Amino acid sequence: MRALATLIVTAAVTAGFWAVNGAAQTSEGPFTQAQAQAGRTAYAANCGGCHQQNLSGSGDQVPLAGTTFMASWGRRPVKEFYDDIRANMPYGRAGSLDAVTYQNITAFILSANGAKPGTKAFDGTSTARISAIATGQVPADIANPPQRPNAESAAGRAPAMKLGHTLVGNIKEYRPVTEEMLVHPDPNDWLIYRGNYQAWSHSGLSQINDGNVEQLQLKWSWAMNEGGQNSTGPTVHDGIMFLANTSNTVQALDAVTGELLWENRLGPVATRAYSALRSLAVFEDKVYINATDARLYALDAKTGKAVWQTDIAPPGKGFNETGGVIVAHGKVIVGLTLCRGQMPHCYISAYDARTGKRAWAFTTIADKGTPGGDTWGDVPNDMRAGGETWIAGTYDPELNITYWGTAQAKPWMQSSRRSGTAATLYANSTLALDVDTGKLKWYFSHAPGETFDLDEVFERVLIDHGAQKTLMTIGKAGILWKLDRTNGKFLDARQTVFQNVYDGINKKTGELSFRPDVLKQKTNTWISACPSAAGGHDWPPTSYDQKHDLMLIPLDQSCNLMLGHDVAQHTGVVNPEGEERVFFMPGTDGNMGRLAAYRTADMKPVWSFQQRSPFLTGVLSTDGNVAFVGDYDRVFRAVQTTTGKTLWTVRLPTTVQGNPVSFSVKGKQYIAITTGLGGGSPFSKPSGMLGEVHNPDHGHALYVFALPEKLN
Amino acid sequence: MMRRFVLTALTVLSATPVLADDYATRLTAVAYDGAMRANVQGDGHVSATLDGRKLTVKGDFSALPSAATGARLYSGAGIGVPGPALLDLELTGQTDGAFQGSFTLTATQLAALKRGHVYVQINSQKAPEGNLWGWLLPAHPFAGPNVPVEGHGFIPQLDVPGNWTEK
Repeated sequence: MRALATLIVTAAVTAGFWAVNGAAQTSEGPFTQAQAQAGRTAYAANCGGCHQQNLSGSGDQVPLAGTTFMASWGRRPVKEFYDDIRANMPYGRAGSLDAVTYQNITAFILSANGAKPGTKAFDGTSTARISAIATGQVPADIANPPQRPNAESAAGRAPAMKLGHTLVGNIKEYRPVTEEMLVHPDPNDWLIYRGNYQAWSHSGLSQINDGNVEQLQLKWSWAMNEGGQNSTGPTVHDGIMFLANTSNTVQALDAVTGELLWENRLGPVATRAYSALRSLAVFEDKVYINATDARLYALDAKTGKAVWQTDIAPPGKGFNETGGVIVAHGKVIVGLTLCRGQMPHCYISAYDARTGKRAWAFTTIADKGTPGGDTWGDVPNDMRAGGETWIAGTYDPELNITYWGTAQAKPWMQSSRRSGTAATLYANSTLALDVDTGKLKWYFSHAPGETFDLDEVFERVLIDHGAQKTLMTIGKAGILWKLDRTNGKFLDARQTVFQNVYDGINKKTGELSFRPDVLKQKTNTWISACPSAAGGHDWPPTSYDQKHDLMLIPLDQSCNLMLGHDVAQHTGVVNPEGEERVFFMPGTDGNMGRLAAYRTADMKPVWSFQQRSPFLTGVLSTDGNVAFVGDYDRVFRAVQTTTGKTLWTVRLPTTVQGNPVSFSVKGKQYIAITTGLGGGSPFSKPSGMLGEVHNPDHGHALYVFALPEKLN
Repeated sequence: MMRRFVLTALTVLSATPVLADDYATRLTAVAYDGAMRANVQGDGHVSATLDGRKLTVKGDFSALPSAATGARLYSGAGIGVPGPALLDLELTGQTDGAFQGSFTLTATQLAALKRGHVYVQINSQKAPEGNLWGWLLPAHPFAGPNVPVEGHGFIPQLDVPGNWTEK
């Protein structure tokens, strides 16, 4: 281990040197000009969709040229970079290219970082240190590539498709969705993305129950758009299903037969295996969708025609929205992602449901001179990044408050962003906002100074215990929180998986204390964290069964070492600036998946089980004492809610990813679930760690199950 | 007053997980990125028994990508936190093999073991800084995949005293 420590220190010193000193003396690269040219074409086809054609990166897809790339790879040999991309790329179909293509792509990326071609072809074995041959200075023709609209079909990029209102609907009898319906949803419908405003993800139906669920049969299925990240769930009203596909395509389907009723391909077409459309919303006679390019649409529920549309954020600047949308008290409320330090910061915004006119916006990053602005230390305003809202909020109609979680601050690590243990408000917080005005009623900072990409952005579940109105949530650290949702006061917390980031908690205030060595972190030094950036708990949401007072929680078990880069404090795009090395979580016997049930009154664990693959769907519980959940290894499962016992499984064609829902038409209950690929850590971590799991790189679809018809 | 003290003490004792003298872990790949992955494959198991200060460790490994070059006990600042080497284990085999060792622990080493901070690491020719590792934690049963257990099952920081404080 001393050897490793020495290596780490040496690497750290080297990386630090590089970050400070930039370009170095270089020698001839271990590749040819022909390889670099061939690699450029291969890169465009397989990598550019995510990492961008100018290698600048986008969101979680790291830059492959410039200072960030050199900070990550400059100290390492070319062979390691080649081995890395060969083992992991293209995203979602790792190892699918031939060796020559990987070698050519490596040559191109080196040349894009200023390396000069030589006379010897790269064969995958060069041990030359990258900083010895590359400068990190990107040639102009690569930094500003010509537009080549037909040259790309990167991993996650959708096949070419015709955009537009491809099938105009003619639904004659459509019952408008009223506010009363949303406040008290009919169990035959699934009107809100988590089933109700409280995000219970629970169905009041019981025709399918723990006594008959083993008889479930497939009733119909529907192939969905390929490309992008598919992790959605349908919305159902009066037997009409509204379905968000990747590439910002919305469809209406007959929920019994699977017949297509209308389709509107809004676009833009997905270019990478990220940016899910997690939910739609319905209200009155409209269907609402926040497209991945941060544009909000209202579609006519009967025809699919766009009634109004508006920009959530300035177009063309890379802003993104993946969290889904809710409608509350006549307002459409959405979040925002990929703000990356540019102005404006991320915000939550609300729009009049009938007109699309913006009503308010609440900025989730506090600037200097504003409330909370002193919680970033001396970090300049345009280096204050993160606080993204990539999961739609919940709503308490009585209090007229909407509750949202926010993501971590960026750069990830304290040492990189230079904010110390300060809270970096309003990152990793619960926000309670007045629905009519957007005014902040209260906030709770779950993880002040968070430093390992451990978001606390996920679902806020609203549960009453008698007169006590609580809010429960669980983030990537795997800590289940209970707050008083009238005022944000901390009530309780429980650890649900192994975590070693925090070594204690103040039981009165909920303030966490970091493991001592976390506080001593330095840039360019590896430091351990459990869970990894995949969580603990991630986007696959919990369910809540009120009858049994059980919250069912999908959990993920992996750890990582993380290294933060030195980041210059100047205006510009803020990246995560961290590197990860993953490993299996201690004490789990190599099981990444855990499903657990907690009684919310006293926060006591009732049951749990583990399995090799993590769960990549939310949990759907039902009044039939049966709950549904799907996983990375293609298994869709029904368990008994009260015991966790598996009652039924089915193996689907690819990873089960999305949000199961239940609805009923003409007295028959259905269960619907999607298969899907793509996404961040929850999907990418198991794809690297579970070598024995082989899932196809396509197969986005919807599956609808029900009990068999009775034989007469 | 005395009765209340006894009751309190019993309550505390019963609420505190019993620290077993038997330890175990599964060996899995050390922390890796894509470039390292091919060289840190393999599997292994370790069991250990603590008798007073005497720790006896034995285990096996299989399917390493390259021959094992060393097996050691290490200790870090927490469960799952890498740290410096403590003690050498006696190693036999190449890509498949076994290891064992018996030690009288110092007070510091004993405390680290009881807090779950000690781990076994196998190094190999292609992964000289670490191929497999696993933290020595109190032996606990694994019910099997998808088999529910009452409560939270085994969660290291909750079942190994001293890793979490409530202030």
